Amino acid sequence: MSQIETFYEVMRKQGITRRSFMKYCSLTASALGLGPSFVPQIAHAMETKPRTPVIWVNGLECTCCSESFIRGAHPLAKDVVLSMISLDYSETLMAAAGHHAEAALEETIEKYKGNYILAVEGNPPLNEDGMFCIVGGKPFVEQLKHAAKHAKAVISWGACASYGCVQAAKPNPTQATPVHKVITDKPIIKVPGCPPIAEVMTGVITYMLTFDRLPELDRQGRPAMFYGQRIHDKCYRRPHFDAGQFVETWDDENARKGYCLYKMGCKGPTTYNACSTVRWNEGVSFPIQSGHGCIGCSEDGFWDQGSFYDRVTDLTQFGIEKNADQIGTAAAGVVGAGVAAHAAISALKAAQRKTQDKKEEA
Amino acid sequence: MTDRNLLVGPFNRVEGDLEVRLDVRDGAVAAAYTNSPLFRGFEMMMLGKDPRDALTITPRICGICSISQSAAAAFALADAAWAEMPDQGMLIAAILHAVENLADHLTHFNLFFMPDFARPVYADRTWHDQAVARFTAQQGSAARDAVTARAELLHIVGLLGGKWPHTLAIQPAGVTKAPTLSDKVRIQTALRSCRRYLETTLFGAPTEQFAALSARDSLMDWTAGDAGLFLRIAADTGLDDIGMGPGRFMSFGAYPLPGKRAFAAGMWDGGLHDVDTAQITEDISHAWMLGETAHPADGRTAPDEDMRDDAYSWCKAPRLNGQTIETGAFARQIIDGNPLARDLADRPSAMARVVGRLIEIARTQMLLEDLAAQIDPKDRFMGHWDMPKSGQGQGLVEAARGALGHWTKFDNGKITGYQIIAPTTWNFGPRDAAGNPGPLEAALVGAPVGDGEETPIAVQHIVRSFDPCMVCTVH
Repeated sequence: MSQIETFYEVMRKQGITRRSFMKYCSLTASALGLGPSFVPQIAHAMETKPRTPVIWVNGLECTCCSESFIRGAHPLAKDVVLSMISLDYSETLMAAAGHHAEAALEETIEKYKGNYILAVEGNPPLNEDGMFCIVGGKPFVEQLKHAAKHAKAVISWGACASYGCVQAAKPNPTQATPVHKVITDKPIIKVPGCPPIAEVMTGVITYMLTFDRLPELDRQGRPAMFYGQRIHDKCYRRPHFDAGQFVETWDDENARKGYCLYKMGCKGPTTYNACSTVRWNEGVSFPIQSGHGCIGCSEDGFWDQGSFYDRVTDLTQFGIEKNADQIGTAAAGVVGAGVAAHAAISALKAAQRKTQDKKEEA
Repeated sequence: MTDRNLLVGPFNRVEGDLEVRLDVRDGAVAAAYTNSPLFRGFEMMMLGKDPRDALTITPRICGICSISQSAAAAFALADAAWAEMPDQGMLIAAILHAVENLADHLTHFNLFFMPDFARPVYADRTWHDQAVARFTAQQGSAARDAVTARAELLHIVGLLGGKWPHTLAIQPAGVTKAPTLSDKVRIQTALRSCRRYLETTLFGAPTEQFAALSARDSLMDWTAGDAGLFLRIAADTGLDDIGMGPGRFMSFGAYPLPGKRAFAAGMWDGGLHDVDTAQITEDISHAWMLGETAHPADGRTAPDEDMRDDAYSWCKAPRLNGQTIETGAFARQIIDGNPLARDLADRPSAMARVVGRLIEIARTQMLLEDLAAQIDPKDRFMGHWDMPKSGQGQGLVEAARGALGHWTKFDNGKITGYQIIAPTTWNFGPRDAAGNPGPLEAALVGAPVGDGEETPIAVQHIVRSFDPCMVCTVH
């Protein structure tokens, strides 16, 4: 097999300076929650280890994951990823077209057999033998299985690949199916979100390169370092939740004051993601900061959980018999209520998962 | 020269999947058939849902034009609920949408369209070295410049909409974000930096100077910036002689503002007319769909799982007054009365479409600066509205790629009908019952195909000149 160049070499070729490279390493270290002492380790790995070849395939999807990468990301993160995928196979960005593109895929699989990471954006629809998504005259599901066969690991980018996303919404006309239901014999890392945050995407890949292993995954197969906390836990509007100060209608005074959006359907309390810490578009903001509730797009089944503008649940654990509505109307500061609510919501979530698991078994 | 059939696809550097079947006779395309091989069934899954959920679900049709989908969904609901945005709400919605469209045009030019000129087939041309250095896919220096400029431009969407892609801030009665004075300053700063990119790199001259071009001759004399390189290439490769559209253009009008739309609505066929949306139909004679030709307010989506033989696409064929129309930036600028676009209107070529986008980039930059200056942080950005139990409405906007319409119908708090016609549905739809080809199918006829050319370069240029968005097309 031919010698694969290191990450650092690729970045240098792309005109990235040493200074920018070091900045990327420290940004990534902090995104991964690793102290500054890990910066040299990351830099060393990127300088000495061969670049991880990536094959990036697109199924039933909207390309928001690629877009999150190339448009929204910090320029450094974007450079790294573009360098990473540029030499191999990416349908959205590459130069070749048609049969040449198909040939490029074969060549890449052959060249890096057993060594490459298969990044999947979107998912295969299984209805009608996969005829709803055709790539190069063949159902996407065949391309997916073929490319996965010799992959070292599979990354499911986004809610589509991880869980199905909106195209799997009832009645799921095309029987859109998440990747892990089709590929069962490879390690799969789910990086959900619609789309996932760009820095999370690069963070996952850099971690794998630096430490030569998959990041620690939670029960759902998501990297724990990014999906270990609820949006709600680190939300800057959290004090308003704890104080019982809620937005009641989109145009009220409380909306202007930036009160908690729980009553407007915010799913922050049940959603595990890094939006409230890493934020979006180079750390500028995140949905709650723009005055709209979280829709829970990194959670399984977020598209079929009732209206996005319905409350998470009608809790009665606040105080004795009050629910969030009554507390909000009274605008009373209830210390400690948030803790009780979380316990309740977590229990509820666990119950939900159990039902889902049962459904899957059935 | 031999006669043959060619199947071209998958196309990359277009959004989504596309296949084109070509009948080639005497070295040129004699007939073309466009297939959109990706179907997800969004219109079916909307049924039975809370009408407000369209605001969250429909943007996920497409990760490139998600604000367009979100705005169309919001306007359709507003139409049904008699909701109105306060002036400042319209202003912010317009800024969000215009930023996305501007970013899309930059993507198209730098990442999707120009890289074809770096191909070896053009190795003997005088401009080829320059094209390779600037536009080789994923490596050219232009991509780096454009992606950086775009990411910074999208800070504005971050500030006003929380995140991009899949922004949620636009609601039927306004926007959820009330920008502060410091947001306003940051927005203006981001716009200044976009202007710097345009003036040093894309146009190589003041934005106003490009926007002021008014005739084909002065356009072809433009040499500065990447725009100048494009025009030199276009003249040398005959881009102005291929890919003729139907010559009928439609725009729903872009960016509703108090009392007007920033770019006017209308229909152009050599003269300007109003668009009567009641005259829109979707023909399904050549689509794998069941049902009848219908107006989108009455239409339904029922895929024909047998994929019958006389059909060849998942895409329906929309028609206005029974005719095909072309939609997009070029159409928008013709209809809005831009003198250069009007001068080019009699040759709706591959080149004209790209020029239409360049004109719009310049004009949108100027528009955005004007809108941003009007932001008044003390004013209201959201009005009050109540969701009726039943109703129906249409939401018409202009996405980067052209006219986008949503038609919603709901009863007892549940959606009973939802139809979407996307710009590329108009441009890349299949034949209708009378056998008339869709705009792209017609535009490809006559395109030269060299012996042994498997992915004819002229076909690539023509297809990409429309900036197709296939995921929106069929949804």
